[in-house]
Amino acid sequence: MKALILVGGFGTRLRPLTLSVPKPLVEFANKPMILHQIEALKAVGVTEVVLAINYQPEVMLTFLKEFETKVGIKITCSQETEPMGTAGPLALARDKLIDGSGEPFFVLNSDVISEYPFKEMIEFHKAHGGEASIMVTKVDEPSKYGVVVMEETTGQVDKFVEKPKLFVGNKINAGIYLLNPSVLDRIELRPTSIEKEVFPKIAAEKKLYAMVLPGFWMDIGQPRDYITGLRLYLDSLRKKASTKLATGPHIVGNVLVHESAKIGEGCLIGPDVAIGPGCVVEAGVRLSRCTVMRGVRIKKHACISSSIIGWHSTVGQWARVENMTILGEDVHVCDEIYSNGGVVLPHKEIKSSILKPEIVM
Amino acid sequence: MGSSDEKVVAVIMVGGPTKGTRFRPLSLNIPKPLFPLAGQPMVHHPISACKTIPNLAQIYLVGFYEEREFAMYVSAISNELRVPVRYLREDKPHGSAGGLYNFRDLIMEDNPSHIFLLNCDVCCSFPLPEMLEAHRRYGGMGTILVIKVSAESASQFGELVADPVTNELLHYTEKPETFVSDRINCGVYVFTPDIFTAIQGVSSQRKDRANLRRLSSFEALQSATRSSPSDFVRLDQDILTPLAGKKQLYTYETMDFWEQIKTPGMSLKCSALYLAQFRLTSPNLLASGDGTKSATIIGDVYIHPSAKVHPSAKIGPNVSISANARIGAGVRLISCIILDDVEIMENAVVTHAIVGWKSSIGKWSRVQAEGDYNAKLGITILGEAVGVEDEVVVTNSIVLPNKTLNVSVQDEILL
Repeated sequence: MKALILVGGFGTRLRPLTLSVPKPLVEFANKPMILHQIEALKAVGVTEVVLAINYQPEVMLTFLKEFETKVGIKITCSQETEPMGTAGPLALARDKLIDGSGEPFFVLNSDVISEYPFKEMIEFHKAHGGEASIMVTKVDEPSKYGVVVMEETTGQVDKFVEKPKLFVGNKINAGIYLLNPSVLDRIELRPTSIEKEVFPKIAAEKKLYAMVLPGFWMDIGQPRDYITGLRLYLDSLRKKASTKLATGPHIVGNVLVHESAKIGEGCLIGPDVAIGPGCVVEAGVRLSRCTVMRGVRIKKHACISSSIIGWHSTVGQWARVENMTILGEDVHVCDEIYSNGGVVLPHKEIKSSILKPEIVM
Repeated sequence: MGSSDEKVVAVIMVGGPTKGTRFRPLSLNIPKPLFPLAGQPMVHHPISACKTIPNLAQIYLVGFYEEREFAMYVSAISNELRVPVRYLREDKPHGSAGGLYNFRDLIMEDNPSHIFLLNCDVCCSFPLPEMLEAHRRYGGMGTILVIKVSAESASQFGELVADPVTNELLHYTEKPETFVSDRINCGVYVFTPDIFTAIQGVSSQRKDRANLRRLSSFEALQSATRSSPSDFVRLDQDILTPLAGKKQLYTYETMDFWEQIKTPGMSLKCSALYLAQFRLTSPNLLASGDGTKSATIIGDVYIHPSAKVHPSAKIGPNVSISANARIGAGVRLISCIILDDVEIMENAVVTHAIVGWKSSIGKWSRVQAEGDYNAKLGITILGEAVGVEDEVVVTNSIVLPNKTLNVSVQDEILL
């Protein structure tokens, strides 16, 4: 089986992190975002993953070579020379996706994090015998999204309603598809939208089926959702593989600590924290609801909550970093500084407190 | 001039509970003159300056607080300084000159040659012996301590003009609308007993005027008694202004620091000034430590002997910690006043703040402000028995007594 991952553009919503690293390579729970998907695909027998990308393929390819051997899966890039929407990349990658086997292939949005129930999806797809399957997920505020109106028992999709003003349903497109190769024949090589142009046509022929995604789902394309997504991911990890989570008197709730990270005395870590490789967390530090990327040093008595600390940054003694503070790569917060929602671009030194959310260029 | 057995008395005006409302919420719990600056009650600083006056016979505190509010302090300080200190309670505000006059018999009891008059709510180095020496040289009835300030800020004070050669006071005007001079009245004076005659003059003029009006019109009497009863005499408008240019009043200019202590924010600044002065006057009161056996100390810090500070804490600059406070492991204190019985838990940070009596600051919590002494919320103030729960951040806020904060606040006054 094959899979196409829609990586897309510059990942501007996840800046300043994506100023240093292409979005798929930004770590989520100590693993590049895209690796979560690639590993899940490999687990259900996918042998080749095509990344639809429209910038920096060189940087990506270097990393992908590493993953290929590590995961044992073939990874190639399909580069868009111009933005192709959500369906165009499928047409562009047509030759890579069709191998004559007639097997369906996966299409994933790279920003989406979930338990990736691909096995169930394959069974669902085989069972309904239609042309395409999509995953849907329940949301609290469907008016913000594209709602999928479906027949509840069979999952047969009736229509798509973009940002409905009146309630038509609470299930939205989760950005995970399993498509028969014939779907490619419906897509022209031009910028098009799969949700707006392709799926409605298949639905009209009653060949599109939706499966309600079990477990959590989060689009982690922006910092706030990234932090929420980590909570959901760690909750799920607690149920599935709790031995991966840290334990000890200094741990509260779900915490992921890389084996090479060092934690000092008198710290209190958690809930919902990920500490990356090579990090040094000195004595008396408090961390909650945050991600600390590779090579970060958190000095004594600092306190961090609801924030992302970018690669190789430092947070000074008695500093307080909170409320969606996002530090880019190699940012240094001086001793005793307070950051309330500061979004800091790479290679900066923060010498005075940030009292209200602001962007530091 | 001035024989060595001439006695001197000092009178410190301390005001009363209806004054100093700008000092709330701290003045809700303690008379403002007893609020600690650099670990000592505000009034302690002028009192200990008085101790440097040769032949000082007696210190009087004059105000309209209840006697009992000063009783303990007055007895303790008398013992400590070995100078009689006595609190004299006015039945009502008489103005600074009126208050002095009210107690003239007591003040003159020892037949002093000179009387110092100090306002309690000013912060300066109180160069009293130097003033007395200058005063004796000038030979007038009174000498006023003055300081040069910026032209923009002068109008908040009494502005005055002095003769550059003789230092005679030529002109005096209280809080003028237009600029008169950048020299201002510091609220510290030395007088000969002739001051009582001058005050009596104002007082009896008032009575005469009131009597005249009483004969002519009932309404005139009403307005006259309401605006200035005969025993209410202000020093500035009623004495200094009319006597300027009559070769009776002179000025002594200080080159040291001077501030008025009207707000809690200013008290933090003044605490820093007094701590810095301790380097010269009482270095034994300043804490030291490098984090091995006792906490790391940065700059000028006062720690009461009964306070417990964990060796892993880092304290200073400009910190004073009062009696029985407990400062936990890994705590950081910068520019703050920690009052009696406060507990600060592990890894908390307090910066640009005053933490009220018996308050409690939780682990990894943070009490902070931008540190603008003149801004309304430039210093965070926690009243008595305020609780800040673990990890809560309090920024640029004033919290009235007995509140518990379990969520972070910024730019707020919490009633």
